[in-house]
Amino acid sequence: MAVSAATFLISVPWLIPALTDNFWVSVITEILIWSLFAASANLLFGYVGLLSFGQALYFGFGMYGVALGIDHLGLSFWPAFGLGIVSAIAMALVSGVFAVRLSWHYFAIITVVFSLIFYFLAVSMKPLTGGDDGINFSLPPVFRFGGSIWSLTDPTFQYFFVLAVVSLCFFLMYRVINSPLGKGFLAIRDNDLRASLIGLNVYVLRLIAFVMAGFLAGVSGALFAFFGRYASASYMFYQVSGEAVVWTIVGGAGTMFGPLVGTTLFIVIREIVSSHWEHHSLIVGLLAILAVIFAPKGIVGLWNGWMTRLGERDAASAPPRLTLQAEP
Amino acid sequence: MRDTVLLLAMNGLIWGLIIALIALGLSVIFGLLDIINIAHGDFFMVGTVLAWFSLSATGNFWIGFIVAPVIGFVIGAIIQRLVIQPIHGAAALSIVATFGLSLILQETVRITFGATPRRMLAPIQGTVPLFGIDYEIYRLFAAGIALVALAGFFLFLQHTKLGIWMRAVRHDRETAVAMGIPAQRVYVMTFGVGFALAAFGGAVAAPITTVDFRGGVDVLPFCFMAVIIGGLGNLAGTVAAAVLLAFLEGLVQSVADPTVARISSLVLMSAVLLLRPQGLFKGFTR
Repeated sequence: MAVSAATFLISVPWLIPALTDNFWVSVITEILIWSLFAASANLLFGYVGLLSFGQALYFGFGMYGVALGIDHLGLSFWPAFGLGIVSAIAMALVSGVFAVRLSWHYFAIITVVFSLIFYFLAVSMKPLTGGDDGINFSLPPVFRFGGSIWSLTDPTFQYFFVLAVVSLCFFLMYRVINSPLGKGFLAIRDNDLRASLIGLNVYVLRLIAFVMAGFLAGVSGALFAFFGRYASASYMFYQVSGEAVVWTIVGGAGTMFGPLVGTTLFIVIREIVSSHWEHHSLIVGLLAILAVIFAPKGIVGLWNGWMTRLGERDAASAPPRLTLQAEP
Repeated sequence: MRDTVLLLAMNGLIWGLIIALIALGLSVIFGLLDIINIAHGDFFMVGTVLAWFSLSATGNFWIGFIVAPVIGFVIGAIIQRLVIQPIHGAAALSIVATFGLSLILQETVRITFGATPRRMLAPIQGTVPLFGIDYEIYRLFAAGIALVALAGFFLFLQHTKLGIWMRAVRHDRETAVAMGIPAQRVYVMTFGVGFALAAFGGAVAAPITTVDFRGGVDVLPFCFMAVIIGGLGNLAGTVAAAVLLAFLEGLVQSVADPTVARISSLVLMSAVLLLRPQGLFKGFTR
């Protein structure tokens, strides 16, 4: 499974243009970016049990860090990328200090409130942010080796650049989840009182997770700014945060690839249906409802359930076969 | 200057009363079914659209005051059976399910009503002198209607069978079921009542705001704020918080632009959440 998925992702720039057209390479690039954004909601909800409805705030900071860095400060590619990520992390740290004191409904509400505050600020500071219309910028090159220049204007290079960054982030997240720190996250998700009684500092662990999630959202926002060559306040609205939550839960919260699956499902359907039918939202809405009714643990959860049951059936049917063979 | 302040404060107060109706619906659904209803703003929007359709079909504005809540109740009850019941009150799943509902409601309205926002003419035209300013009669009337509806809802909770059932199931589901209260039916009815309140708020607000398929998007965060600031499950607190928030926003709007007003109420909201997460009014009621 994992090997074939990796092979597919690496062969995309050649496979897809051969099968259909270049448009789908850019769709897959977009899916990778958004699945990283969904992963940030998943890190908080799926692994720490904090439902954030405000991840768009850090996405927006990543986006504006890049756009303002290039457009206003005249930064080149990497410093602008760094500015986007650092500003997202800083914002996550400042708001996390307050937000992670609360849990469940209250946490969900305060993350929305924080993101709305900065959404309205971004809308009102039109000269700086461009408001809902956003600001456009032209891309600086990524690498410059002597005469050759590598820039994201080349779709194949852009795809590999995004794939590399997103894979690296997923790998980092995987390492964190499987470290003692990650076990601490899971302990808090399952029972925060018990976690505090065995000596875990719930507040600090939640804050670390919150800043990490801010980092993931910031990277995806920065990537999306490079991808679209613009930044806009509309991406900081609460509905964008909501989409990350929906993609995560439909794909499978608390699983590594749930967000990727959910994001892929929704974006592919949007791209296929919207070109034929204007009212594709109806299908997206219906799908979200059907998903939670028939796969409450998400698509990946459903899949894992099937695999376990299949395994159990094999295990149940295996012993008799062994005894049959053992008999002369 | 004084007139502007007065006008905007009055507008805020009246808007707050209408929001209170909608937020009450949200609070009832939230409290009884443990559903985080992302589609609640759209319930309000559907109310404005139903009012618009009933006006254009019959030529009589007032019919909308009956049509909107009744149809709202029916849609709400159907939604509860088809969508909410299967997810067994899992709050995280309810977010996804109601997000889907929100998309479906918005898109259905976009197909039937159209994507262009429309304004509805108030059935009562004219202004009346009030504290030295000329104030629209319909707004005053809307405030009166909202107050009557709020009072009516609290009487309904206290004195009707369904109202008592709703409170009982909320208080202690196990005991309520043991006493023979049909909890499942109460859930269906509650969701219907929640939708009906929002839709009624929509019908009352339709001539004040615009009728638009995205009209619920701004209302939703406001309602959640009222529910939280008022204290989860504190219905009277919800009403007070809605009026207070809208009134303050109106006041700030008279000296700064609406965005600053919105930001200031959000900052107030954060302060309440952090300092008094149990709500602003805990200790004052009950």
